[in-house]
Amino acid sequence: MISPRRVSVILTHELRLSIRDPLPVMVLVVFPIITMAFLKPAFRAALEQSGYPHANGAEQVVPGQAVVGAFFIVSLTTFAFFSEFGWMTWDRLRASPATSLEIVLGKAIPRVAMVGAQLFVVLGAGVILFDLNIRGNALALIPLVVTFSISLVLLGVAVTALCRTAQQANSFAYVGMVLFGAIGGALVPFNVLPRWAKTVAPATPTYWAMRGFHSVILDGGGLGAMAKPIGALAAMGALFALVALRRLRFDEAKTAWV
Amino acid sequence: MEIRGLEKSYGATVALAGVDLRVEAGTILGLLGPNGAGKTTLVSIVAGLRSPDAGRVEVCGIDVARAPHATRPLIGIAPQDTGVYLPLSVRENLRFFAGLAGLSRATTASRIEQVADALGLTPLLGRRTAQLSGGERRRLHTAIALLHRPSLILLDEPTTGADVVTRAQILELVRALADEGSAVVYSTHYLHEIEMLQADVAFIDRGRVVARGSTADLVRDHGSSALLLTFFESVPAAARVDGAIVEGASVRIPADDPAARAAQLLPDLGADARQLSSIEIVRPSLESVYLAVTGRRYASEPAEAVA
Repeated sequence: MISPRRVSVILTHELRLSIRDPLPVMVLVVFPIITMAFLKPAFRAALEQSGYPHANGAEQVVPGQAVVGAFFIVSLTTFAFFSEFGWMTWDRLRASPATSLEIVLGKAIPRVAMVGAQLFVVLGAGVILFDLNIRGNALALIPLVVTFSISLVLLGVAVTALCRTAQQANSFAYVGMVLFGAIGGALVPFNVLPRWAKTVAPATPTYWAMRGFHSVILDGGGLGAMAKPIGALAAMGALFALVALRRLRFDEAKTAWV
Repeated sequence: MEIRGLEKSYGATVALAGVDLRVEAGTILGLLGPNGAGKTTLVSIVAGLRSPDAGRVEVCGIDVARAPHATRPLIGIAPQDTGVYLPLSVRENLRFFAGLAGLSRATTASRIEQVADALGLTPLLGRRTAQLSGGERRRLHTAIALLHRPSLILLDEPTTGADVVTRAQILELVRALADEGSAVVYSTHYLHEIEMLQADVAFIDRGRVVARGSTADLVRDHGSSALLLTFFESVPAAARVDGAIVEGASVRIPADDPAARAAQLLPDLGADARQLSSIEIVRPSLESVYLAVTGRRYASEPAEAVA
């Protein structure tokens, strides 16, 4: 039985800790906006060649950089667990009345909110600062953003479960960000990727997120066009949750450097 | 708290080899033993942080392994390592754990006031924990365990690294908590703390309880005074008298009147007396109890030096 009260206590506590160290959360937002500014012109030509003659580049660079930036949440999620080992509070938390599931939920929910907010803020900045024109139904992006955010945070929990040290988790998160960002068509347009990359791309959450964004932003799609990307992201989220459930051992000693 | 037949091994290393213990409400049990004796493993299993290989632990009649979520609200633990959230203030740390324990807002406020007062944290409540000294953090660490007024309090080496003031405050508080009805398990390798608390004692050695009873009873039954001579290199033949226990360059000679025994023995040493680095008189104490029941000198407790 999950106690909403205890989840809420942990959730509030996690938000408080994040507020005390806001820089990582700010990076989530600032990093994509800065990169958009100098990458936008390059993507205009790429989109023209891909069959979008009226595109200005923002249609690729805004969702692409938002998705790459959102990947930082994987690292921040692992940090939410590893920092407990650095502060030596993990055993305290485990000895409290909170269950394992309540602890995971209390740590995961605020990060889903953070990355969801990041995606909407960056997309909004794209519209205001970089002339992003959303041709389809913008409301259709809401379920896409929510599902993508949940799947990324669950990936973070799964990475935490698989890694014994914070360094391992960080390496995994950053390599994943670059690799998934490139193969998934977030760093560069999907059409310019080599054939092998296009073949493996559907195995990445970034591919499905970018496909959903493109469907609405470039192709003028609505909620109907979101079914496949959301289904794929939900399936990946379920897979990450399964890995976390099977491998996350609360009595395992992990190490952190904080 | 009742422990029966508790066993735990880490690979080939046996941490607990069949421990039986019982602690009643309103009493303090001092878990004594050198580092690596199995004290932390025992405390961790009682708190539900580790699973035993065999045996069972009951708190207020509830099996800790079978119903961990029923026993956790009954237990307050301060683990061996100081665990506090450094970016948060003292008050925020206390509030968080009070919230997890399910205390209402009003109760939380009054309990924070009480534990902060008892441990000298009141002026520090608004201060960020990262700015506290080691002793202040240790007091906060201990305070967190007491917020919800648990029936069983587990303090694992609570004074390790603590300054003199912190140590005195913690010992005073432990006594007060037991007087209020809590059962307290106080794990330490400092024998004199248990003597100061006049607590019941369980000596743990190599995963077993080798002596159990009140401090007074154990000292009466097993304690004896002794003369302890330490030499620069090795113990000379003249110091190896009947009943003496040689350990490295030290020899321990049991004696009812150690001072008189020293006066008698020193002339017999002759030129070897120049090799003496110290002469100590060991009074009947938990340290001599430990020696009597294990045959080894307790490593963490200095004896009273007279020369």
